[in-house]
Amino acid sequence: MTKISSGRKALSLLTILVLPVSVSAHLTADRPIDQCFVCHESMGDKPSALFKHDIHLKNGISCAGCHGGDSSKDDMELAMNPKAGFIGVPKGDRLSEVCAHCHADANAMKSYGSSLRTDEYQLLQGSVHGQYAVEGKQRIAQCTTCHGAHGIVSPRDPSSPVYPTKVTATCASCHSNAVYMQRYNPALPVDQLEKYRTSVHGDRNAHGDSKVAECASCHGSHDIRPAKDAKSSIYPVNIPQTCAKCHADAAYMRPYAIPTDQYEKYVKSVHGVALLEKHDTGAPACNSCHGNHGATPPGVQSISKVCGTCHTLNAELFGSSSHKKVFDERKIPECESCHGNHLVEHATQDLLGVTTGTTCARCHTPDDKSQGYTAAKRMRVLMDSLSNTDLSAVTILNQAEQKGMEVSEATFKLRDARQALIESRIVVHSFDFQKFKTVADKGLSIASNAREEGDRAIHEYYVRRIGLGIATLFMTLLAVSLFLTIRRIERKT
Amino acid sequence: MDQQLPRSRWFTWFDQRLQLEDLLHFLRKKSVPRHRHSVWYYFGGVTLFLFLIQVATGILLLLYYKGSEDLAFESIRFIMSKVEFGWLIRSIHSWSANLMILAALIHMFSVFFTRAYRFPRELTWLTGMLLFFLALGFGFSGYLLPWNELAFFATKVGTEIIGAVPVVGKPILEFLRGGGNVTGATLSRFFGFHAAVLPGVFTVILSIHLIFVQRQGMSEPLGTEPRAENEGKTMPFFPNFLLRDLLLWLIVLNVLVILAVFFPWELGKKADPFASAPAGIRPEWYFLFMFQTLKLLPAKILVIDGEIVGIAAFGLAGILWTLIPFWDRKSSRGERNRLINYVGVFVVMYIIVFTILGYLM
Repeated sequence: MTKISSGRKALSLLTILVLPVSVSAHLTADRPIDQCFVCHESMGDKPSALFKHDIHLKNGISCAGCHGGDSSKDDMELAMNPKAGFIGVPKGDRLSEVCAHCHADANAMKSYGSSLRTDEYQLLQGSVHGQYAVEGKQRIAQCTTCHGAHGIVSPRDPSSPVYPTKVTATCASCHSNAVYMQRYNPALPVDQLEKYRTSVHGDRNAHGDSKVAECASCHGSHDIRPAKDAKSSIYPVNIPQTCAKCHADAAYMRPYAIPTDQYEKYVKSVHGVALLEKHDTGAPACNSCHGNHGATPPGVQSISKVCGTCHTLNAELFGSSSHKKVFDERKIPECESCHGNHLVEHATQDLLGVTTGTTCARCHTPDDKSQGYTAAKRMRVLMDSLSNTDLSAVTILNQAEQKGMEVSEATFKLRDARQALIESRIVVHSFDFQKFKTVADKGLSIASNAREEGDRAIHEYYVRRIGLGIATLFMTLLAVSLFLTIRRIERKT
Repeated sequence: MDQQLPRSRWFTWFDQRLQLEDLLHFLRKKSVPRHRHSVWYYFGGVTLFLFLIQVATGILLLLYYKGSEDLAFESIRFIMSKVEFGWLIRSIHSWSANLMILAALIHMFSVFFTRAYRFPRELTWLTGMLLFFLALGFGFSGYLLPWNELAFFATKVGTEIIGAVPVVGKPILEFLRGGGNVTGATLSRFFGFHAAVLPGVFTVILSIHLIFVQRQGMSEPLGTEPRAENEGKTMPFFPNFLLRDLLLWLIVLNVLVILAVFFPWELGKKADPFASAPAGIRPEWYFLFMFQTLKLLPAKILVIDGEIVGIAAFGLAGILWTLIPFWDRKSSRGERNRLINYVGVFVVMYIIVFTILGYLM
């Protein structure tokens, strides 16, 4: 940091020393005299004072570049003659059009030796800021809204209003203005900057760190779209990728000494699969747990609250369980201890129990002779039993169905057993064996009944065949005797 | 022939009251011609037997079936899973419906190829054709009653085809559907047609048809009429022909039971009017050749809709087929008419080929 500050100071000093020389050189040596600037500077007006430091002036673009007119004439009447193309102060959308005249023209930009993108104007028009303002006369934001007018400097210049440490204030000038924002989106919060300052990003940014995420890092700059727009970088499905731009870049993140495997883990997690593969936009992305503007890792004690915003029942049951007190006393992260954080896997009964690899066994050992060890062991046995009975009922009902037997009612009822299995996985968070047993027993009873119905159907399938055999035998005997009777009668006649 | 057999006390008891002996005497006098095409005589009896099975199983199904949008599917499921032998009754009803149409088709074509429709049996042919169309009506209306997905969309497509008929199509469509769409109202109507209107009309026409057969006796194909050496080659209707009929009925019953046990009629998924039509929607096999033809016809034939041309062509063909005793004068005069054979073979081949195409495409 010290080195960076020293460098900046040197750069500023260099700018102060070199700028007048370069401007003077620009005005006198290799370019024609810009009479507009000369005149306005002599008048001591504010625009010319600002324009002195403008990047455009440094690149030989005079006032007439934007305002039109003839900058070579010292006669005001001639210089500011509409016949010479003078347009005065551009208003409304004309403002951006004037900028786009060069900035959307790749050849023009190339002639100035610029490597800037030339699609910003187009992106801006397609963005949320490119919509028409309430008055309906012009688009919400023009280029000058963020970049300023006469004192435009490079976005990499710390004095630029769009420089990382300044851009938050620039955005906030509208977005923190409740009265202004109410006209466009009354539901949109106006406390983003306030929250941002409480985040790790905001804190570092306030201390001059230009690498940490600011508004444009997540929302984009010219192509900002509403969060509900699938093309938006903050659309739920796109959020993990947006965060990963920095957080999965080991080289970029090196100075901060935090892991960079969160994204890699997240995409494999049950949440990541639901969001990124199944496109379930209700599934949590990074911001669901960490917050967005106030992004910060949840503290140990608030983990269950954060997870509980979605997993309400689990959190409630855990909160009133015997584990809560122990976890709080020992400062053990609640949900995370068993389920992990970024790599939350699908919770099956494999987590439950006291065998190797189960989460209960991490704390409860056979030696501690606690109730917890016994309860975990019994819960697992009961859950396995429910799961196996459900599975065997499904298999038997499928077999019966394949044999053409009507078992749709039993199949329908079996859904309650599966519901009980899901419910038991929730109730396990109460760590109360009796509560768990009530739910599991209900499921077991339903699954057993369904299995019995399947067995009965398969049994009936074979009974039908035996019945058919007997009926066929009877009918064949009848047919043979009829045939013999016919022969006897016909022989007689 | 008219020999007196020893009678049981029961028979004597009834005979004293109902003069059964007279009936037996009448039956013994009836005879059936014997020739190389005699086998076709049995298919009329098989069709009748299958109709009787339809009536019996239909009445049993009525004990539990509920003809409403909300309960139809569930009631059939209940019949198949909870009612004792309900699965058997429902499967036999469905299978015998299809076999009845098949038997009726065979009966119709055998009558056609043996020219049994010729003078003086024109009215017997007409009543037979009417019965065949009523049987198709039974099939079409009964198909919807389980209110399953396949039946729902097949009925939708089927009634749409009727609706395409110019002028009268739309009113008929609305009358059949009980509105613009296939809904619970359609189900109620189809149930009414299937269980009340059609059986009533069918029974009356069937009685007339059987009376005609009784009065006129069995027709003999051209070229097999009694000649000197064939003279007297007949079989007594009672008991010989009747017992043979019974033997065949017994075999058909056994086939039905085997089909019902080995290939129980599926119930499928409950109809959902808001769901999109599943792939492979097709009508029952006996409508398939017409359905397939309409599918293959171009959208426009000259300036007329292809579908309308197809419906008109089938309508015309049906009328010509029904009225054949009146335009085939040669057969009525006892002369050979090869054109009838060509027409018959073409129709049979057309139905077979387009039905197969319907299943393959």
